[in-house]
Amino acid sequence: MSAMLLSKEKWPQFVGKFAGKNLWAPKLEGEAMRFSPVEEGETPLLEFSNTRIPPKSAAFPQTETMFRFQLGNQEIKLPELGEEMILMGIRPCDARAMSIVEKLFRWDYDDPYYLERRNLITLIGLACNEPGLNCFCSSVGGAPDSTEGLDLLMVDLGDSFLMEAVTPKGEAVLKEAEDLLEKAGSEALKSREAITAEAGSKIRRTVDHKGIPEGLPALWDDPLWARVSASCIGCGTCTYLCPTCHCFDIQDEVEGFEARRCRMWDSCMFEEYSLHTSGHNPRPTRRERTRNRINHKYNYYVDKFDVIACVGCGRCINLCPVNIDIVEILRQVKEAL
Amino acid sequence: MDLEQLRKTAAEVVSREDVKYLIGWKKGTYGYRVAPVFVEDAAGAAELFFSPLCTANLTTYLTMAEKLPLPRGQEADKRKVALMVKGCDSRAVVQLLVEKGIHRDQVVVIGCPCPGMVDPALLAEKYKETEKPVDLKWDGDQFLLICDGEELAIPRDEVLAEKCRLCRYPNPVISDILLGDPVEKWEVAEDSGVAELDTLDINERWSYWQEQFSKCIRCYSCRNVCPLCYCQDCILDRLNPTWVNRAVNFSENTAFNISRAFHLAGRCIECGECERVCPANIPLGKLNRKMAQEVREKYGFEPGIDPDAEPFQASFKPDDPEDFIL
Amino acid sequence: MTAENPYIPNFATIEDSWYETGGDRCIKTFKVVFTDPAVRDGWSHKPGQCAMIGVLGEGESMISISCSPTEGKFLRFSVMKMGKVTQALHKLETGDQISVRGPYGNSFPIDEWQGKKILTIGGGIGQAPLRPIVEYVKANRDKYAGLTMIYGARSSGDLCFKGEFDEMSKCDDLSCHLTIDIEEEGWSHNVGFVPQMLLDLNPSPENTIAVTCGPPIMIRFVLENLKKLGFSDDQIYTTLENRMKCGIGKCGRCNAGGMYVCKDGPVFNYSVLKNIPEAFA
Repeated sequence: MSAMLLSKEKWPQFVGKFAGKNLWAPKLEGEAMRFSPVEEGETPLLEFSNTRIPPKSAAFPQTETMFRFQLGNQEIKLPELGEEMILMGIRPCDARAMSIVEKLFRWDYDDPYYLERRNLITLIGLACNEPGLNCFCSSVGGAPDSTEGLDLLMVDLGDSFLMEAVTPKGEAVLKEAEDLLEKAGSEALKSREAITAEAGSKIRRTVDHKGIPEGLPALWDDPLWARVSASCIGCGTCTYLCPTCHCFDIQDEVEGFEARRCRMWDSCMFEEYSLHTSGHNPRPTRRERTRNRINHKYNYYVDKFDVIACVGCGRCINLCPVNIDIVEILRQVKEAL
Repeated sequence: MDLEQLRKTAAEVVSREDVKYLIGWKKGTYGYRVAPVFVEDAAGAAELFFSPLCTANLTTYLTMAEKLPLPRGQEADKRKVALMVKGCDSRAVVQLLVEKGIHRDQVVVIGCPCPGMVDPALLAEKYKETEKPVDLKWDGDQFLLICDGEELAIPRDEVLAEKCRLCRYPNPVISDILLGDPVEKWEVAEDSGVAELDTLDINERWSYWQEQFSKCIRCYSCRNVCPLCYCQDCILDRLNPTWVNRAVNFSENTAFNISRAFHLAGRCIECGECERVCPANIPLGKLNRKMAQEVREKYGFEPGIDPDAEPFQASFKPDDPEDFIL
Repeated sequence: MTAENPYIPNFATIEDSWYETGGDRCIKTFKVVFTDPAVRDGWSHKPGQCAMIGVLGEGESMISISCSPTEGKFLRFSVMKMGKVTQALHKLETGDQISVRGPYGNSFPIDEWQGKKILTIGGGIGQAPLRPIVEYVKANRDKYAGLTMIYGARSSGDLCFKGEFDEMSKCDDLSCHLTIDIEEEGWSHNVGFVPQMLLDLNPSPENTIAVTCGPPIMIRFVLENLKKLGFSDDQIYTTLENRMKCGIGKCGRCNAGGMYVCKDGPVFNYSVLKNIPEAFA
């Protein structure tokens, strides 16, 4: 696959080629970076650590209509899934998360909503030169320059961007902008190696998960779960901001005679998540729900899909209101093993 | 406050037979973070501390205790809970007592006179977040940031939390034990956030909140962290009938946020936690402080001060002036 | 969206419906036939599987298919009135339509059980997922070494499928043992809890498969007693339930430990289940 160079002077023009094609890039909204549509004439700056809300909502929107119908009528109207989309500036961890979640949405039954949206997206990633304070992607199978899930990877070389195509979609992007690009020479490639190696060495937090997926069942009744979940307030922040979390609720909404069945993000940390109508709840307290969350990511998902469902993006650590830290929890798990 | 005295007092309190555990603050896992800690013995007490980073309101844990059905023959653990509170936090305790959410003999209040807390977001913005252990201390009209043996003086006004700028009660209004000397009250700033909104006309205000509520991701952090949101059966969780749809859009988000603000009218003690925890940075403080201001001005009532007061939304004064009602 | 969408329901018309029990949490059985003949003819299910049934505008619930495929080209569901969706279902009558998605879940390995004796132990509405086994064995008597059914409920009014038991007592290889919790006037059968009745009957574990379903507390004691009687772990099966929304292993909520009840279950062998503490929560 080709590797081309884009001089930063030509960056606004590069963006201009795609701005009219449903281009999304990180933008500052208030105090947080969020993926937002890029208007014609706008140039995203790409100077950020990572977005607050992960871009999983491009393929898995927070609220999505599954179908519409009218009360008393059996006619089901499927929604139009819309146009193609280009996500520019997605970090390798978030793209990797999309491929991890895709395994579940393909498990036996194909989830048409997720998969169709996913196919409509072209992912242009941006390698991390400066990992965030709580990033630990390299501990869980990722890297600051991982290409898993991406169509094109951009590496910031200082005065230019190195653009590496990963898939034919990525090649198509390069082809479209070929008048702005130059072939990447060996110097550029060497510079890229040095930058990403340095980025890797700057990752400050690590998780030693060797033995954790197999060892977690034995720790089912360990007091550590009560300890780490004592201060949890049971909000949905960690799950909503997690790029690999994929749980959802399905609700029918009726207004007059018009109705729709829609799905929306749900969180296993909410009490009602597993509450039976009889009042019985297999996970009655936050201790069981915290234990379930960690087990799901580091044990159950590994059993089913051979990959840890955590990409080390650090968002849950950054935004947990009470500083419940998954790196710390895993350290305690490792200790208890 | 003398940290040694804090730890010694805490160790004494948890060793009492009638105390189940103590809720306090301990250093977080990185940078400027502070985590709530549940202390059951002297070893745990050694982790406690009190610094300008202890913004979290721990009162919310009083009403968050989950009770599983007990095995036959086992009695419920009715021992007290000891709780460390700052000035604002203590108002939550009083309001809970007024509403009978807790009983006075269920809690041992350890009051911590508070010279003012730092806004961790502001601090991280101006003084890069680090994974190294840091310490922050009060020092008159400045804060001392101690990291790697180096001391950096930060002017108080630069990083003081908004809620502390507006604080009227830095000293706990209720306590069983008081740690340290009462602090001198400082001049209360004008609530510029609310005042700014007051200058806008109704349509501009609506646009403002439309933009803000569209950011809401319905994580319910604000509701869960609030010490006064403790309904066992919150209307948001009830889906039969569905009061607020679970779908996330401007309409439902507005219904949620405004309902919550109204449910807190006359009850919100302005601890600022809702705004601190919101991952979408919605200025909830402005909304709740505006409600509190209205209650103060039009009803002459302030929640969380007098434990013998009547709950605001549940009482009626025959001599209410009601001059703003037709 | 042209690819097959597993979230789109089919519709089935209620051919017949009747109440099995009365009271607040009454149980109503629906016998339904798919409106689309192509769906009706293309449908196949095995004993133990379930379907997401519901009413458009209210939602869906995962209900076990309580008929055996040997009974005909229809489906039976026995629904207890509990919450939003089941209340809406209970308001429906013959001629109305319900939405059906399925069949979901794994099934009882009924073919593997050929040649063996089947022992079903049910409590209350727990008999609904066991009924397909009973009917399947009845239709294939020569393939099995007999069936013993133990079924109990709080009172005679809480027993489901009442009309179907008399026939069984006329056969050598099929036996039916009913019990109710408390003495009742006019009740000529056993009085006592199901787990105790199991012990009293003292069935031999030899060449026998035991299947149980009922309230969690009953399952617990039945499992204990089956072990006391000498049943090995792999001779015991149960079927679980949990809150479900998608029914196809995507929404995440129905897991008991690492097993999704909608996909890895609802039928579980005890040798698997004993390692999942959450299944007995």
